Amino acid sequence: MAEQKPIIRFENVSKSYPGNVTVLKGVNLTIYPGEFLSLVGPSGAGKSTLLKLIYAEEIPTEGEVYFNERPVTQINRKHLPYFRRNIGTVFQDFKLLPQKTAFENVAYALEVDGRSEEEINAEVPEILDIVGLGGKMDKFPHQLSGGEQQRVSLARALIHRPKVIIADEPTGNLDPVSSSEIIRLLLEINSFGTTIILATHNKGIVDKLGKRVISLSSEHIGSDQSKGKYMLQ
Amino acid sequence: MKTLKLWRTFKEGWLNFRRNGWLSFATVSIITLSLFIVSLSLLLGLTTHYVLKNMKDKVTVSVSFNPDITEERILQIRDELVKYKKEIATVEYVSREDALSTFMAESGNDPVIAQAIEEIGENPLLASLVIKAVSPEFYDVIVNQIERSTFQSSISRINYAKNKKIFDRLDRINAATQKIGLILGSAFIFIAILITFNTIRITIYSHRQEFEIMRLVGASNIYVRMPFVFEGVFYGISAAIATTLSLYVVAYFISPLTEGAIPQGNFLGLYNDFFFLFFFGTTALGVLLGVISSSIAIRRYLKV
Repeated sequence: MAEQKPIIRFENVSKSYPGNVTVLKGVNLTIYPGEFLSLVGPSGAGKSTLLKLIYAEEIPTEGEVYFNERPVTQINRKHLPYFRRNIGTVFQDFKLLPQKTAFENVAYALEVDGRSEEEINAEVPEILDIVGLGGKMDKFPHQLSGGEQQRVSLARALIHRPKVIIADEPTGNLDPVSSSEIIRLLLEINSFGTTIILATHNKGIVDKLGKRVISLSSEHIGSDQSKGKYMLQ
Repeated sequence: MKTLKLWRTFKEGWLNFRRNGWLSFATVSIITLSLFIVSLSLLLGLTTHYVLKNMKDKVTVSVSFNPDITEERILQIRDELVKYKKEIATVEYVSREDALSTFMAESGNDPVIAQAIEEIGENPLLASLVIKAVSPEFYDVIVNQIERSTFQSSISRINYAKNKKIFDRLDRINAATQKIGLILGSAFIFIAILITFNTIRITIYSHRQEFEIMRLVGASNIYVRMPFVFEGVFYGISAAIATTLSLYVVAYFISPLTEGAIPQGNFLGLYNDFFFLFFFGTTALGVLLGVISSSIAIRRYLKV
């Protein structure tokens, strides 16, 4: 079997902020395409920072992050928007544009890519259907429940058919039912080959998944288990 | 594809402008106020200028001749003067009798005056030539020439010096008014820029969370910035329209006061004549204010 290239690779990555705040130190991490990875750890351990380094919202103080073996820090600022279309992001606070409907929120991601009206009108309803919101396309975020809003976010994250989906505490603001619904969708997306990186401190979810678990504890990777359970260090 | 993106950001800007409701209204009001004050200063300056011009245009030089000079001789002099077409527009002969009847009419045919004149026994008024120059600046030259002319001994009086002093003073007032208008106008434009910039900055600040989202979704700088630039355009145009309408209202009420004082009839007439200039000027200024303010205010959110 031909050796697979990692899709994301952290090489001795450290991240500090002014005022001597070190969030990550000497992190080495390899993620292969199609993996489902849970990133766990207490608050402040650096989960969000690690994720931000992947989609270049932050740059490492030391070391390098590679995406498809290309160093992320060397991506020209002008090209960053295009790079980011490879990575779908979902957050705890949904991050939907409040003055746009569900349809418009998802369509926006295609508009900035310069796609035509026909393409948008074809693809957006399809993707909203996949996440189960086909009947609520013209609702505004404030008219949707938490679970529904998160599904709009997910649809938006999916619209570019990204190679990676990064979910930073996606179930943080959701009830148990909506939470499992979102996780189920993520698993389904993963079954089609998309790499999923899920940051969470929800023990129940992680244990049930039985997938690879990386736990961060005070700047370092505490453990990296291929079929892990949530462990507090 | 560039036009598609531009069209989309244009639509976005228009939608934001409409959906912002009160914030848009506030911004447009402030720009309108600034434009209004600047335009009004300009209009008033223009009015002053024309009022003065009008007064000066009505000026004439009156050359009175000694009683022993014949009408024939005076008419001869008139024919001489008329030849100087470059400086002199018209020369009118007013006989002693004409002068007397005009005087009587202007004093309301007062019987006391009529009696006084009868007592003197003869017409106390002199014959004169009323000279109108092509343009007020020629009067000095004309008067000088007449004073040094061959017939200067026949002249009893030249009625100009008194007017000259008045007009010199009016000229100085005019110059001062224009200077003040310029300073005030500039000051208000400066204030307008500051206020507009700040108001738009507040508007953009209230959208700051959306910029983060846009950047995450992969929007380039153009996509983030252009809607706000277009929004600035809409602010400018709306303000220009509001200013134009307000000026009309003001002009309508001020006009009766200026009736007849200027060649355009009155203030409203003046505004009508210069309407297109004002409308395009305020639109250009309004749009410039809106666009520049938006462009600068959004800069800090463009870190990619």
